Amino acid sequence: MNRRGLLGATFLALAAIALAAVLVYFFGPNRHQVQTASQSPILGKAGLHSPAPTFEVATTQGLFDLAKARKPVFLEVFATWCPHCQRMTAVVDRLYGRYHSSVDFVGLSGSDTGMDGISTATQMDVVAWARRFKVQYPVAYDPLLNVANLYLQNGFPSFAIIGTNKKVLYLNSGELSYGVLAAAIEAVLRQSPAGKT
Amino acid sequence: MDAIVLVVRLLLGGLLLVAGVLKIGHAADLAASIAGFRLLPAAIVGPLALALPYLEVLAGGYLIAGLFTRAVAAIAALQFVLYAGAIASAVLRHIPANCGCFGPNDVTQADWPHVGFDLALAAAGAFVAWRAPGAYAVDRKLRGA
Repeated sequence: MNRRGLLGATFLALAAIALAAVLVYFFGPNRHQVQTASQSPILGKAGLHSPAPTFEVATTQGLFDLAKARKPVFLEVFATWCPHCQRMTAVVDRLYGRYHSSVDFVGLSGSDTGMDGISTATQMDVVAWARRFKVQYPVAYDPLLNVANLYLQNGFPSFAIIGTNKKVLYLNSGELSYGVLAAAIEAVLRQSPAGKT
Repeated sequence: MDAIVLVVRLLLGGLLLVAGVLKIGHAADLAASIAGFRLLPAAIVGPLALALPYLEVLAGGYLIAGLFTRAVAAIAALQFVLYAGAIASAVLRHIPANCGCFGPNDVTQADWPHVGFDLALAAAGAFVAWRAPGAYAVDRKLRGA
């Protein structure tokens, strides 16, 4: 093949790659996995037994600053459109009811897509989500998704429990039972009770 | 000089080839990494995440073979400058973006050493483009044909 032929083949290959990418993105079988990037798994830099990356957010119940927390912290990173997260609100609310005197709870939005799966996430979207699912624990809108980028564990919802020593003592993700999360909180409280560092 | 160009070409091409291969089949993870930089809209992130691994494999293969060396090396240099710019912008905005440069298991965070590494790769690409095609390049055979 001469130079002109190879050049033509190259442009053909480039066009084929571009066309295939667009077709797969819009019509492919797994299009929803890449349709909105924030739906895709991200592994945050928070590591088990490592110092917890600090953050500060304005929740529905006031300012929350991890650096100033004196109790262990139960953190949830959710997406308002995520059905698992919607179902988990009942579980986290139950945990909040039982442990809120000894553990700080905070839920954070971790997606730039709104509850309808199409619109852009906003503060109002998070508030509407909390109202719709009768969320009792403090939740916050994180516009830059900083906390999600730190703590997300391959999907929504992700959970982290941070001890009073400001180390990540529990990390998990997905739809988890009340028993699993309550046991994790109990374990953290045993080794990291409120007020002790 | 041709031997040096060949070595740089092989290193750069090999790096692009490995980076591309490791990303193939992990479009969702790559999309998440790209979106983490908060620079591109979702409508662009998706197709880019699907196409980028194959483009990197193509560019890597061409550099190794020494085919259209000058153009491909220039494009690779530009690509690394864009990567460096994206990473620098994430560092400056305090966004803890994951690089994802070498597939879903690469959870390297955006930092200044990473910016420096990408700029070094851009300089290597520019060098190859300047002194192209180097030894054992298909371009030489095509020119001779």
